[in-house]
Amino acid sequence: MKRSIVTGLGIAAALSLALAGCSSDADAESAPETTPSGPVTVTLAGWSLATTPEFQTLADAFHAANPDITVEAKEYDATNYDTQMTADLAAGTAPDIYVQKNLKNFFTYQNGAQLMDLSDVADTLDKSLSGLDAYEVEGATYAIPYRQDSWYLYYNRDLFDAAGMEYPDGSWTWDDYATNADEMTAALAAAGSPALGTYQHTWQSPVQGFALAQTPDADLLSGDFSYLAPYYESRIALQDSGAQASYGTATTNSLTYQAQFGTQKAAMMPMGSWYVATLIAQQASGDSETFNWGIAPAPQLDSSTVKNPVTFGDPTGLGINPAIDDDKAAAAKAFLAYVGSEDAALALAKIGITPAYASDVVTEAYFGLKGVPTDDLSRFAFSTHDTKPENPVSKYTTGIQNILNDAHSIIMSGSSTVEDALAEAESRAENEVLNQ
Amino acid sequence: MATTLEARRPGSRLKWRNTMLGWSFILPNFLGFAVLTLVPVIALFYIAFTNWNAFGTADWVGLANFQRMVGDKSFLVALSNTVYYTVFHIPLTLGLSLALALLLNRKMRGVAFFRTAAFFPYVTSIVAIAVVWNMLFSPESGPINQFLTMVGVSNPPGWTTSADWSMPAVILVGTWREMGYYMLLFLAGLQTIPPELYEAARVDGASAWQRFRNITVPCLRPTTFFITVMLTIGSFKVFDLILVMTNGGPGQSTLVLSQYIYTKGFVENQLGYASSVSIVLFLICISITVVQFLVNKRSEA
Amino acid sequence: MAITTAVRPIPEIGSPLPRRRPRSTKKTVGRVLGYVALGLAAAGVLLPFFWMVMSSLKTNNAVFSVPIQWIPETFVWSNYVDIWQKSDMSTWLKNTMVLSLAVTALQLLTGSFAAYGFSKVRFPGRDVLFLVYVGTIAVPWQAYMIPQFILMSKLHLSNTLWSIVALQAFGAFGVFLMKQFYETVPEELSEAARIDGLSEYGIYRRIILPLSVPALASLTLLTFVNTWNDYLGPLIYLRDPNLWTIQLGLKSFVSQYNAEYALIMTGSVLSVLPIAIIFMVGQRYFVEGIATSGLKG
Repeated sequence: MKRSIVTGLGIAAALSLALAGCSSDADAESAPETTPSGPVTVTLAGWSLATTPEFQTLADAFHAANPDITVEAKEYDATNYDTQMTADLAAGTAPDIYVQKNLKNFFTYQNGAQLMDLSDVADTLDKSLSGLDAYEVEGATYAIPYRQDSWYLYYNRDLFDAAGMEYPDGSWTWDDYATNADEMTAALAAAGSPALGTYQHTWQSPVQGFALAQTPDADLLSGDFSYLAPYYESRIALQDSGAQASYGTATTNSLTYQAQFGTQKAAMMPMGSWYVATLIAQQASGDSETFNWGIAPAPQLDSSTVKNPVTFGDPTGLGINPAIDDDKAAAAKAFLAYVGSEDAALALAKIGITPAYASDVVTEAYFGLKGVPTDDLSRFAFSTHDTKPENPVSKYTTGIQNILNDAHSIIMSGSSTVEDALAEAESRAENEVLNQ
Repeated sequence: MATTLEARRPGSRLKWRNTMLGWSFILPNFLGFAVLTLVPVIALFYIAFTNWNAFGTADWVGLANFQRMVGDKSFLVALSNTVYYTVFHIPLTLGLSLALALLLNRKMRGVAFFRTAAFFPYVTSIVAIAVVWNMLFSPESGPINQFLTMVGVSNPPGWTTSADWSMPAVILVGTWREMGYYMLLFLAGLQTIPPELYEAARVDGASAWQRFRNITVPCLRPTTFFITVMLTIGSFKVFDLILVMTNGGPGQSTLVLSQYIYTKGFVENQLGYASSVSIVLFLICISITVVQFLVNKRSEA
Repeated sequence: MAITTAVRPIPEIGSPLPRRRPRSTKKTVGRVLGYVALGLAAAGVLLPFFWMVMSSLKTNNAVFSVPIQWIPETFVWSNYVDIWQKSDMSTWLKNTMVLSLAVTALQLLTGSFAAYGFSKVRFPGRDVLFLVYVGTIAVPWQAYMIPQFILMSKLHLSNTLWSIVALQAFGAFGVFLMKQFYETVPEELSEAARIDGLSEYGIYRRIILPLSVPALASLTLLTFVNTWNDYLGPLIYLRDPNLWTIQLGLKSFVSQYNAEYALIMTGSVLSVLPIAIIFMVGQRYFVEGIATSGLKG
């Protein structure tokens, strides 16, 4: 009985080895013969190419300036990008250049030796390029940022007018935000509107991202999460007073932030800069209602930082797969040098993306876009802020963020008190992540 | 099992002949199965003893992953949640799907429609299922709690937004979704029972319950065995439903092993550790299956 | 509990062809009540599907709201036109159909064949080998999908439709299912055939296969539905949009910054229709199966 199993396994193993053997021969034969000087095509991983134009925009603009190099975008899934990319890198089927979609996963790729050292490219770039330092590990740079999102406070001017309230003025602390949200809710109800004062999406980011960025000495990796407590207390209060949809309502009804703000269910909403382009597109398509809106700097912990408001957001960067053919590496590096330049930033700003490279010219290009609110406070919010990373690059970041995500759902759903949940998160971080 | 070839005609040449014969039937499927499933599964057993992170080489770490598991509170939470789900989901689904199959195993007007309806939850997009059930469970505005309040429940549960009630909610939806699937298998099993047996029992004056006990249950045994094994493994591996319904929350109240494996493997890229957790899951499933297998063999004899 | 209560009122449990008996008024009332109860249960069961259909007629931002909106304020019929223009639905449907048919055919052929070996031929190692088959079902796929992906890439199968065929067609599920059903076929039948000089292959072909029509029908349905609705397999293996299946394609409507929920629902409704039709047509085999196969003789 045993013997036939063993024989069976032996056959299977031999067969798979034989097949693997065949295929590696085939690999060697099918390697394309390319001449270093001729036209080169490098591949670039992107997601939802039909609805996410940034990859093609960068590829086209670069090709126009460098006709010998073609950048070909490859389709990946938006939500499962990192799973697909991990599989492709492990099997050696990944494209030449790939996006660091989340800063959280950058460490894994870098530590797993799946990113080429790009220090020579970084040396040619403007040091003020936002997010560049996030990709630096032990003095070497492994990815070049092309976009840098930050969180703002979106507000609906029409609803503020209807409620007879003053617009945000750029000096708000979180206390001012809460007071205004409460007053707004009452005023809107009095005016017969079913809209609420504000909407906070169900993610952990809008609470924890701000808390980490704005609290002095807060450190995600310290395993001390007490800095989150005041932020949770104030959000729970807002939810209890009815100034925003409760977490339970938002999750069980699968509320989307696009619909909450876009169909005027809430007068304010803290959200990332990517929503500007989405909102403009949805107002044009009719998915969102037509109303006047603006962006204000994110509310601050206290008034000391209103001159240069502190907010958070992770950069999005491009890295090179070290398995790239040698003769293509130069072309790929040339593309990455372009991606961090002002030319690329202009091309991106024109499609409503917040580029990592900031300058007055880029700001002008962005605000020249049809539908972007052009008031002074919106311009200030876009051009002046101190954006801190939501996910500091470290071995522990992903594990800690997962634990904090559990803490988030248990606090916001009211299943546990803030202190208990944070204490539990601290002990889990100690026992499951920081000791690894 | 009834008479077999070996028992009928003993002899070692015959044994050889039977082996060749048996393998000739199995081989077409086995080739594909061995290369595409068995080899990766064997690889998994190796990876479980390494610190592989999906890239590069895997370093042998011996039993370190298993030692880590013992002290890993989240793993223990996931394990006990999985057992919680399984213990309720299996009997509920088994009972309901058998009841449905018995109810719909007759010639009656509209039976095709009702069978299709019962099977529909399994076919409907799981996203739509999660959305609708979550809305029905909504603590403040949901129809379920509105109904409960109406009939006088003063403090209705928070369902998927409550750490205590999220698991019952998920079990309910899991049962609702899969009962049609297993009903289909029971229906197919019921077809193999010769109608003459019922006729004879009826002539002997057996009651409906007696006929069920003495004809339906024993004749359905191979089907029931199959369904029990599949249901056990399926419950221990529950994944996509939890992912879309609660994503393991609130907190870790619905975190299950499959999801833990996915998180460790693909979110935190600790494939070595994820593989060792899978082996524990595998060992639990296979030991229960072996017990079921032996019980089945005994009642056969 | 559930079993007894469900069973008592039905005297003809398990019998596919109940005898016709004279009807009494009491019976008729019971019958009507039974239909009402079944109708209500069916309505409850179909509720999510109803919501799916209604959401497919909404605008994207109206799909999720508080409280639930069962009927759209304005019916956006154009979703059913847009989906063909905005997406490659016809390619997705074609790919999914090709895959589902190929996988189902292979699973039926190889699965029912192998099951005969496991069920009707006794040879050394058979039970252990069978446990290995069942054991692999117990290993979560997400744990070994990377080693499997590497293997498939070495075989140059990844990013081709063949990968999904290879992935699904040789599963242990079909072997297990068919083996269990073969065991309900009385051994006397094969015995008689053996005496008549039929080979084992002949017995499989002429006796066992015709008798296992209900099992083959359910295996067909379940394999077809599982391949049709599979998401994770295509997600890992298929990158090229020309190869996408319906489930993979539909999810692509959720991009990072924008989510076309109404179109997802429209697509989901369209993707369920072929299965519903197949089921409606196929389910009759569960009544006819053995009744027409001449087991009585």
